[in-house]
Amino acid sequence: MSSNRKRLPVGGRISREVPLDFTFDGRKLIGYRGDTLASALLANGVTLVGRSFKYHRPRGIFSAGPEEPNALVTLGIAGRREPNLPATTLELANSMDVESQNRWPSLAFDVQSVNGLLAPFLSAGFYYKTFMGPTRRAWMFYEHFIRKAAGLGRAGTGPDPDRYEVRHAFADVAIVGGGPAGLSAARAAAAAGARVALIEQDFLLGGQLLAEPSDSAAAAWLRQAEAELKGFETVVLMKRTTAFGSYDGNVIGLVEQRDPTGPKPNGEARQTVTMLRARSIVFATGAIERPMVFSNNDRPGVLLASAARTYLNRFAVLPGKKIIVATTNDGAWRTAFDYAAAGAEVTVADLRAVPPAALAAEAARLGVMIRAGTRIVDLHGGHAVRHVTLNGPEGQSSAACDLVCVSGGWSPTVHLTSHLGVKPVYRDDIGGFVPGAFPAGRLGAGAMIGAYATADAIEDGHRAGIDAAASGGKSAPVPAPAKLDLGDTATTLLREAPSVGHGKAFVDFQMDVTTRDIELAHREGYESVEHLKRYTTLGMGTDQGKTSNFPALAAMAALRNATIPETGVTTFRPPYTPVAIGALAGRAIGHHFKPIRRTPMHDWHMANGAEMLEVGLWMRPYFYRQSGHDVNEAYVAEMRNVRQAAGLMDISTLGKIDVQGPDAAIFLDRVYANGFAKLAVGRARYGVMLRDDGIVFDDGTTTRLAENRFFMTTSTAKAADVLSRLEFLLDTAWPDLRVAVTSVSDEWAAMSVAGPNSRAILNAAFPALDVSDAALSHMGLLESGWGGRALRILRLSYSGERAYEVYTGATAGEQLWSRLLEAGRPFDLKPYGVEALGALRVEKSHVAGPEIDGRTTLDDLGLGRMAGKRSGFVGDVLRRRPALRAPNRQRLVGLECIEDGKRLRGGAILFLPDEKPYGHGRGRITSVTFSPERGHYVGLALLAGDVAAEGSEVVAVYPMKAETVRARIVSPVFLDPQGERLHG
Amino acid sequence: MASLTSSRDFSLSVADCPLIQIEGWDGTLRQFEKSVSASLGTKLPASVGETVRHKGLLIIRIAPRRLWLVLDEGTQAPALSVDPDLGCSVPLGEGRVRLKMAGPDIARLLSGCITVDWHAPAAAPGRAVQTSFHHVSVLFLRTGEAACELIVPRSFARSLSDWIADG
Repeated sequence: MSSNRKRLPVGGRISREVPLDFTFDGRKLIGYRGDTLASALLANGVTLVGRSFKYHRPRGIFSAGPEEPNALVTLGIAGRREPNLPATTLELANSMDVESQNRWPSLAFDVQSVNGLLAPFLSAGFYYKTFMGPTRRAWMFYEHFIRKAAGLGRAGTGPDPDRYEVRHAFADVAIVGGGPAGLSAARAAAAAGARVALIEQDFLLGGQLLAEPSDSAAAAWLRQAEAELKGFETVVLMKRTTAFGSYDGNVIGLVEQRDPTGPKPNGEARQTVTMLRARSIVFATGAIERPMVFSNNDRPGVLLASAARTYLNRFAVLPGKKIIVATTNDGAWRTAFDYAAAGAEVTVADLRAVPPAALAAEAARLGVMIRAGTRIVDLHGGHAVRHVTLNGPEGQSSAACDLVCVSGGWSPTVHLTSHLGVKPVYRDDIGGFVPGAFPAGRLGAGAMIGAYATADAIEDGHRAGIDAAASGGKSAPVPAPAKLDLGDTATTLLREAPSVGHGKAFVDFQMDVTTRDIELAHREGYESVEHLKRYTTLGMGTDQGKTSNFPALAAMAALRNATIPETGVTTFRPPYTPVAIGALAGRAIGHHFKPIRRTPMHDWHMANGAEMLEVGLWMRPYFYRQSGHDVNEAYVAEMRNVRQAAGLMDISTLGKIDVQGPDAAIFLDRVYANGFAKLAVGRARYGVMLRDDGIVFDDGTTTRLAENRFFMTTSTAKAADVLSRLEFLLDTAWPDLRVAVTSVSDEWAAMSVAGPNSRAILNAAFPALDVSDAALSHMGLLESGWGGRALRILRLSYSGERAYEVYTGATAGEQLWSRLLEAGRPFDLKPYGVEALGALRVEKSHVAGPEIDGRTTLDDLGLGRMAGKRSGFVGDVLRRRPALRAPNRQRLVGLECIEDGKRLRGGAILFLPDEKPYGHGRGRITSVTFSPERGHYVGLALLAGDVAAEGSEVVAVYPMKAETVRARIVSPVFLDPQGERLHG
Repeated sequence: MASLTSSRDFSLSVADCPLIQIEGWDGTLRQFEKSVSASLGTKLPASVGETVRHKGLLIIRIAPRRLWLVLDEGTQAPALSVDPDLGCSVPLGEGRVRLKMAGPDIARLLSGCITVDWHAPAAAPGRAVQTSFHHVSVLFLRTGEAACELIVPRSFARSLSDWIADG
């Protein structure tokens, strides 16, 4: 067990009475409630936490927030294993298992750190320059090794046992950021009467106020602010919640972590993604401190100055006793003062020639040494800092130290506003980018718009909260906020230029991008910020370059001898911080991955041996186990039974659309390629719809129920698309037509009785009905009732046999199904599944999805005669394009296998017998079945018209199984070309 | 009506949903509404999302020219004859199911299902909202302070009720 040797005996916002066990690389350590993993590691004297991406350089903790580029760790084991998490944002909990990553065999001794010696060969653009030769296939060789070496942590491969949730929430005012500006905004908006959601990524509210001593005026202000907010019933405080993206319609994507220190979860989600919709949003996202660029600035023991102050005052950790504070601005001096007060020996190296007198006086009072006009040029040490080389008015000197705190100024956190397209603009007075003009309903407050002083941020937040509430009509009087003046001021008066000694000077720590890489990119012409980013991989790590963007921009601006606004600004895109895929999926996994549609007869199928198949969202019987031991045996038996006796098929999944209105017939005449206006009442017709471009869209039958009413059926797969298309046409193309279209797919249970015995079965099931050929001929309709329920019988055939589609209300579907089976028992009626259905239609050359694949025309499918010389229907004009009538255009043919013991396969590529089987061939097989009638495999194919003469041979090649088989081109109608069976 | 889950904080049950859809043609909508109103003996909801309850019948305007007439259990369907020159009607009661929910935990549970603001005036008791639930189009019907119904397509009903019950 470790001793928390760097922990101060008093102070901080930790609960020393609640110790927490955790392990880091198997080493048992102790922290306290209120710690982050980073603070607990620092308290235990752990400085080496990770290895860098490319050079495998030792890295420590650099920040105290989500901007952390270095201290990335893997949390958890087995299915819960989650890589690349910043130690700085992980709330410490009991029994946490944490591993360092990107090292082998150990963190302290990493073999791949040899990469550092290879640095001259690993510069920017290294992949592009190195792995392109010597042959075209070279990359295929290198890729394996590169991928093995790349990446940081590895995710677990087992199933994640935790639960995740996605939910929706609403607020009048959403406030992103729980620092002084955000707290003030929340209070003001709530007091004005608004419903407020305050979003804070940390497990404590306060933002930068948490870096103030726990017994200070700031702490008292914070306690009061939090208490006030808790007093409002209309305020939701969302701690541990990060806004990862902002989107149109004032939607913010949030990811919330479960309290890891709370009681064991009882079904509670580990992470919850919330899509929050707000009338207005106040962005109070603060600012991120910038690093300074000098040689070896990435070594463990270099901390952002504000982070160092946070570790001292919030977590009571004194990570060093001999400290160099290197800065360009006033803010870092407060770190120096607090460390000096805590007993450390502190030197401030301020780049400015004359630091403010008040700061100098306070430094003198606390014994802080000042080195004005001085910068660090090099840092020495491996796994920890030993000393730095300073360069100032007195020349170069060396200073021993065990902690270096750096501050290159501040960058407002403009990521979320950038997501919404608000372009950042440069403000010279603060040396940083702030959001440009906000659209209505969005506001900024505090440091993110350049108001760095706490007093200003509070005032700013107050104003933004009132304005945000008012934009939603909430404008009750709001009392002024409590004042808090910490004496902190707007800073960053000097833009730092990189100062480089002997070692690498890093600009992007996570992606190992150095000043030399930026110089190289500049020399090679990649001067644009967007090019620089892609050429060097700058800002492409999990931290998205939060600390590196501005220093890189400044370095490129210096190289181009241009101003920063002239050099540009990068575009920030969601997510602000990484979001686990599991959190985005929420509960939509396993059987909830997508909703399942069940037909009215679903339970019967399940209880009677059906092997189910997912078709679109529908569950359909694939085959029935009593028909055969596998699908191949079963479907052949089922189709034989249909051909020889009768089969019953659940066709409830067909799309069904009620089309009504005085102009319904005109409407159908326009949407179908073939005419419907003259269809008689009580008759059905097969119809084909085209897209605007003349390609076949869908097919189905439509029945005229009455003069102004039709019953349309569509394919199962296209049901929603067809309805949507019909609505679109009525709304946009022909709003003058008085027609209503309504999906009735769920309204009707539907079943098909097919086979030579089908009429006898209907006679037995409905003795009172006349279903004779005279009363109900092919394509005829009979509407009646049974047991007080509606009954609709359509004589249609998909199988080529005499067949009837029988419809009744969905609630009575299973009852009618059972009745038909009972009545059909003496006639050998048996249920059949979709595999047999598909095989039956192939024998009859009925086209379906594999042929109507979004590329085929009426003529391709042999259906050109349906349109004849009609015109004025959707797709009519563009179907006449010359290219669609080219002689070598693929068209529908039949194929039969002519090699014993072999079979055809759907998807096989067709070649001429003397052709080399290479490339796309002359066509492809679309659908295949074994034909009991023919005794061998037959199929439908799309084959180039100029080689599709019936009687010719082709070779079908199926590369997936290395199969080649000869086939003969035949008529696609394999069975009963005269249609005697269906009329008989 | 079948109860699917019940606890002190939340109950979920499923019931049939006798329902007739009526729609008026553009251009003669006022006459259509007048005729329907006279047939039903009550005014019609004026705007989308509004409902009117009348003698075991809930009238919901689900689109500018489209109304749903939802019948309470055991209520006889109204004798409604729509002039084809003014509009049309289609029964939808076989294909829809009512998922009835109640309890103090209802708002939290619904937040994982649909994008409807429980506290907004548009979702107040007596209001209806067309929304989507796990990619499926559903009608949210607020029936009380802590109660609501979702009218969902029958084929999706079990999948959606499982989702709610697992919440």
